[in-house]
Amino acid sequence: MTSITQDDVLLILKLLEESAFDELHVETEDLKLWARKHGTGISLDEAALDGKRPKPPLTIEPASAEGPDLDLSAMKSSGAKAEAQTGKQTCEPSVTGQGLNPIKAPMLGTFYRTPKPGAPPYVEVGSVVNEDDPVGIIEVMKLFTTVKAGVRGRIVQVFAEQGQMVEFQQTLFLVEEISEGKDLPKASPG
Amino acid sequence: MKRISCLLVANRSEIAVRIIRACRDLGIKTILAASEADRESLPAQMADRVVCIGPPPPGESYLKVGAMIMAAVGTGAEAIHPGYGFLAEQPELPEACARYGLIFVGPKAAQIRQMGDKILARQMAESLGIPVIPGSGLIQNLGEAMARAEKLGYPILLKAAAGGGGRGMKIARQPGDLKIIFAEASAEAHAAFGDSRLYLERFIPTARHVEIQIMGDQHGNLVHLGERDCSLQRRYQKMLEEAPSPALSPDLREEMGKAALVLAHHIRYESAGTVEFILDPEEKKFYFMEMNTRIQVEHPVTEMITGIDLVKEQIRIASGQPLGFSQEDVKPTGHSIECRINAESPEQGFHPSPGRIDLWNPPRGERIRVDTHGHAGYFVPPYYDSLLAKIITWGQNRLEAISQMQKALGNFHVSGVDTTIPFHRFLLRNPDFLQGAVHTRWIEDVLLKEFEQNARDYLC
Repeated sequence: MTSITQDDVLLILKLLEESAFDELHVETEDLKLWARKHGTGISLDEAALDGKRPKPPLTIEPASAEGPDLDLSAMKSSGAKAEAQTGKQTCEPSVTGQGLNPIKAPMLGTFYRTPKPGAPPYVEVGSVVNEDDPVGIIEVMKLFTTVKAGVRGRIVQVFAEQGQMVEFQQTLFLVEEISEGKDLPKASPG
Repeated sequence: MKRISCLLVANRSEIAVRIIRACRDLGIKTILAASEADRESLPAQMADRVVCIGPPPPGESYLKVGAMIMAAVGTGAEAIHPGYGFLAEQPELPEACARYGLIFVGPKAAQIRQMGDKILARQMAESLGIPVIPGSGLIQNLGEAMARAEKLGYPILLKAAAGGGGRGMKIARQPGDLKIIFAEASAEAHAAFGDSRLYLERFIPTARHVEIQIMGDQHGNLVHLGERDCSLQRRYQKMLEEAPSPALSPDLREEMGKAALVLAHHIRYESAGTVEFILDPEEKKFYFMEMNTRIQVEHPVTEMITGIDLVKEQIRIASGQPLGFSQEDVKPTGHSIECRINAESPEQGFHPSPGRIDLWNPPRGERIRVDTHGHAGYFVPPYYDSLLAKIITWGQNRLEAISQMQKALGNFHVSGVDTTIPFHRFLLRNPDFLQGAVHTRWIEDVLLKEFEQNARDYLC
């Protein structure tokens, strides 16, 4: 087959960017291409490999030199203290791990935990959420966007406070998976 | 007057680095608004804080007025510097800044609007007695085109009313050409822009692009800082700029400076701005083209010969302070040249060349300035403009500045991505360039052909 040109690589990166996928692997006779949207996460492939594999030839972002920013085992043992503040403030690290999923800010703006001032928060630690449940609101110049959980489970930690500016992809909540059929109330089927 | 203690940099790349440096000198803290692709960039490392405003595509990050405003408000920044490109000339940003009590480092929204409509800006200039390129209004048919062309004189440029950036232009050298070209141009304009309307403009074969830097404060003080010659362009993208222009007499320079100030005074311009002219060196005439209401990429050559820090001055002015210098204080000395080094492959038609930089060895030395966000290990993202570095040199005269630039280019080593360094090395040795005998079409008409034949010699 004909070899992959630079144009092709650019096209692949653009396609990935516009897609809903986070990661893409392309392999041809003379080229292996790993492309990933969020540089701080660890891809399944990398996690499975022994670390001797050379760096991916192409990543959209430089992969973090310190490895995963969040040590989940440490977090569990220290009672869920997960504030990963290394050096300067940037967006929160991506949290992936067994049974724990982050809810991230879909945009930069002012975060509100309540539907309106004085109202109780949408969720608290211990609240059980479905994918479509609202968990907060982000305001950008008087435009309000509801943040949906996007995952099912129980809120185990709240990172963002009322009225706080949150960055794009900043972790707002940590959600613990609940095994099917246990506590999770099923959405009514009609 | 409002003191600025913290400023949001609403931009990326070398201009973000440049703004952060100016802020450090002024004792101002900086917040960098960065897309996901730029969180590890050099300006991100330099800023006091980085705020992630959105995903890499500019439409979802650097072009979002709301994100910039919220980032500034949320971090306690009192001012926003837009740099160039992105939101720099979007009046919505200064308007939103005003609503949120933020200082916009730049002109008023109304001034951006007045100069943003290029046709109205030309009409304004004309009404103020500033020459504009002689041309026709919209042309309805060939007969009308022939009559107008006869009056304006050949060669003549046929332009698409909906065109821009050099697209939809054709040259007629004699009436016979016009007959053939008119129908062609009309059809092409319709195909390209969905609008077949055309107009005529006098064609200047050896036109140069000469622009005047101006600076105004909130107290009505306005000065000009001389010109920059940006005639070396490829597809209307500037590649090398210099100050002063090798083609300008002192009289013409003074006239152009005055013309620029007439326009600036008329709109009570504030902050840094640039009035662009087309210079006809043979007829010794200049024509107003447009005004840019932002700091420009090539501002360093003006800084090098005037000793005035334009970015710092912009920030001081924005906080309400009067200009730190008067017209009499502006005394250009020597000559300065800037080469724009892009992450592009000159031997492959200047195709963008994103990727990771392995080796990054920029030139150093007296009279050499490098404005860049590049470094070893940096990943040049594919989403943005390919400008990677600007090399700026200074000399007592033009030849000294050129000689410095030749040395600097010889000592600039980059690997991992392709750059335009080889092209600039070739350009800096060209006899026409050395004599200053170039025009805005010279790179495309003359130099690129020679470069393609000789490219291999300059790639090492």
